[in-house]
Amino acid sequence: MSAPLVEFRGVEKRYGNIVAVERLDLTIDAGEFVALMGPSGCGKTTSLRMLAGLEQPSAGQVLIDGQVMNDVPAHTRDTPMVWQSLALFPFLDVLGNVEFGLRMRGVDAAARRTKALEWLQRLGLEGFEKRRVDELSGGQRQRVALARSLVTEPQMLLLDEPLSALDAHLVVRMQGVLTRLQRELGITFVYVTHSQSEAFAMADRVVIMDTGHISQIGPPREVYRRPANRFVAEFVGRNNILSGTIASSSGGDVVLTGGVGTLTVPAPPTERAGGSVCVAADRMQVSSDEPDAGSRFACTVISEEFAGAGVIVYLEAPDETEIKVQLNEAELSALTLAPGQQVWVSFASDAAHWLED
Amino acid sequence: MTDSRPHPLAWLYLAALFVFVFAPIAASFVFSFNSERFPTIPLGSFTLHWYQTAFSDPDVWEAFQTSLIVSLSAATLSTLIGYATAYTDFRYGFRFKAAYLALALLPPTIPLVIMGLAMLAWLSRVGLSGTVTAIIISHTVLGAPFAMAVIRLRLSQMDPAIEAAAWNLGASEWRAMWHVVLPFCLPAVVSAFCLTAAVSFDEFAVAWFVSGLNKTVPVVILEILQGNVDPQINAIGTVVFVTSMTLVIVAQILLMNRQGRKA
Amino acid sequence: MSNAADSSASTSGKPARRWLYPLTWRLPIIIWQAAFFIVPLAFMLLMTFWLVKNYRMEPDFITKNWVRMYTRGYFWDAYWLTLGRAALASLVASIIAFPASFALAFQVSDTVRRWAIFFLIIPFFTSYLVRAYAWQVILAEQGVINAMLGFVGIGPFTMLNSGFGAMVGYLTLTLPLVVILQTLSLAAVDRSLIEAAWNLGCSRLRTIATVIIPSAKVGLIIGAVFCFILSFGDFVSPYYLGGSKPPTLSILIIDTTKSGQQWPRAAVVAITMIVTLLVVAFAAIGAAYGKPRK
Repeated sequence: MSAPLVEFRGVEKRYGNIVAVERLDLTIDAGEFVALMGPSGCGKTTSLRMLAGLEQPSAGQVLIDGQVMNDVPAHTRDTPMVWQSLALFPFLDVLGNVEFGLRMRGVDAAARRTKALEWLQRLGLEGFEKRRVDELSGGQRQRVALARSLVTEPQMLLLDEPLSALDAHLVVRMQGVLTRLQRELGITFVYVTHSQSEAFAMADRVVIMDTGHISQIGPPREVYRRPANRFVAEFVGRNNILSGTIASSSGGDVVLTGGVGTLTVPAPPTERAGGSVCVAADRMQVSSDEPDAGSRFACTVISEEFAGAGVIVYLEAPDETEIKVQLNEAELSALTLAPGQQVWVSFASDAAHWLED
Repeated sequence: MTDSRPHPLAWLYLAALFVFVFAPIAASFVFSFNSERFPTIPLGSFTLHWYQTAFSDPDVWEAFQTSLIVSLSAATLSTLIGYATAYTDFRYGFRFKAAYLALALLPPTIPLVIMGLAMLAWLSRVGLSGTVTAIIISHTVLGAPFAMAVIRLRLSQMDPAIEAAAWNLGASEWRAMWHVVLPFCLPAVVSAFCLTAAVSFDEFAVAWFVSGLNKTVPVVILEILQGNVDPQINAIGTVVFVTSMTLVIVAQILLMNRQGRKA
Repeated sequence: MSNAADSSASTSGKPARRWLYPLTWRLPIIIWQAAFFIVPLAFMLLMTFWLVKNYRMEPDFITKNWVRMYTRGYFWDAYWLTLGRAALASLVASIIAFPASFALAFQVSDTVRRWAIFFLIIPFFTSYLVRAYAWQVILAEQGVINAMLGFVGIGPFTMLNSGFGAMVGYLTLTLPLVVILQTLSLAAVDRSLIEAAWNLGCSRLRTIATVIIPSAKVGLIIGAVFCFILSFGDFVSPYYLGGSKPPTLSILIIDTTKSGQQWPRAAVVAITMIVTLLVVAFAAIGAAYGKPRK
């Protein structure tokens, strides 16, 4: 079996007393689209910069193609990056920007011009080569940045929140451009973002990071549907977290008693006395009368929020736990909810899954 | 943004202030073409006599030559040192950085007479007093902080990511400096050069102490001044004004054009 | 830590020259200012303890130069004169500059402000010596000013060779800089503070006194301090416009250096000036940042 393209082995990064990355272990295969996701300050950008050689790990090793890269200077690595600020060279025209990497590699003028023009065309920028970069639109600048990084035909591309400065409609279009490019080129994309919609739309695998360590790794669907712990459950999607202690078990299910009441949930994968389960907002129901099946508890309606095709209803359980339930228009109009109203919330046993402590 | 309309008196006051500031420059210019030895109102007739007198004096020519050599050399050295310092401040954090910056920026706050005495004493100790080199050295001490400030201002408009982007695309630190940081700073570098050339071209106190027989233009002016009222000074002074004002205006325009343009 | 040591152990070979790049940029100013700024000033301090014999300095450790200067009345006369004039110049320059800075900061458009600063920077770098000479001609007994006053039947006044003449020179040197510094600090005052004061019914003058001046305090003080430093050390104005008698400290340095060859004594004056400037600068910084606003 061949070695993974990238490997972080127990990598740490400290700035004085501040730990930015804490024992990071991660492997990335060739051709994979991996998204590093987390709130700001979680260490995702620092990890990417260590991969590019722009930061030195304080401990551990970063390997590319099985080679320890810790002391390989940035400019001799083949890890081009697309920057959050794009970092285009303002004193060069579009062609000068795209050619830059080839020029630094000593490619002769004619060859690098041909190559750069080829990439400009590929990204729909033909005719723009003599423009100054500050005369371009946001989307065009984005594509210049992409062309500049890809012109040397690297085996991986690093992207640091590349779409965060774009308008929403451009973000979706650029997502399309990026996914298509990645499939066509067959190279590895390591994509840092705080936006779950970007990560989930494009990545083969998402890595959720929290204050310097990895919280969960997995395909987008899995991370979205089955967040492994409280941090991920709160960070991705709209999830309700319910805690309690296991009172008894019956068949495959157990009875959990605690905060909101008595709940029937699947048995935990490992023996434990209690803990928290996660129920996605769209797996819960709201009704005016007490339903006769599933776990149920009374709540007070707090407010509603329109979200795309549906509505998120915010409620409060007697113990002040906030509950979110996603309803579609039809369900909502059948209910006629008003703030302060008492309703019942329920969910089926299989809608819940256990979170790690 | 104006949050109250400018009072006519405010305009008048500003005008008076600018008249006070520019009166001596304008007067010097007018007097230089005026036939009267002791100019007053009404003015005498137009003459080029003072220019002819001043520029038929070989000492004045020599002084202009010396000044040219001194200001070009001092401006070059100041700009190089100022650039290195500005880049260091922009890029690196290290212990004693506050002391480092103080060392870099302090010289202009020391009175020129004191600098002159200290330079005279020290440079004559090491056998440099009375040489053109001595003036260049002193003017570089005075000019480097200005060059540093101008270039640092430009660097603060630079996205630090563009330097990292150059490394990331295969440029070593040295090549990134040459291909990215320097081109970005170029207008400020030229500006710093003009400004420090002007500082050197106008500096008379330290130059007077250390120059010996190699007099620069301001030193010649100073020595003529110690005699009597002599309208030659207006003629030479007008040339000096035109030179240094041009340098300072060019320096400012170079900075201005780029102000809004960020990386 | 042990891991960090591991990784640096594996660095052997390549990055041996990693220090070269940062040092290339860091060292020039250190070397230059050490050799030609710090050492000359330190040498000047050392020199105050040297002996002058047959017009030559000899290394020694005597306090004679200090005693000699500090026991002379003319030294202290010069000291207080210089201090007083510099303080007065700071006060006058700050007061004259303030209305102009206020107008530039609050009452004109950004474009006008930018151009005003553009034009104020020019004289700061333009031969002060020739400008002082021009004043000498303008302010002379038969000069332009007295001629104009003569038309309306007053004067002539003696303006040169007096404290007034020196003051005109100091203002020529410092006023543009003081206006720039004041304008920048006033322009940085939060507009909403001023509007709040207005809305609370503060009068114009009270708003200036209780809101604007305290907010711009740092910049106003820095302007005054720069004016003080420049005037304190200037020799052109006191010499050519102020009449050189009585001498200021700067004139004393020149006379002692140029005619008497008494460099060590001139150095005593210079060191005294530097110490005075340091005290004033630190006191001013203390006043600027010191006590929190109420």
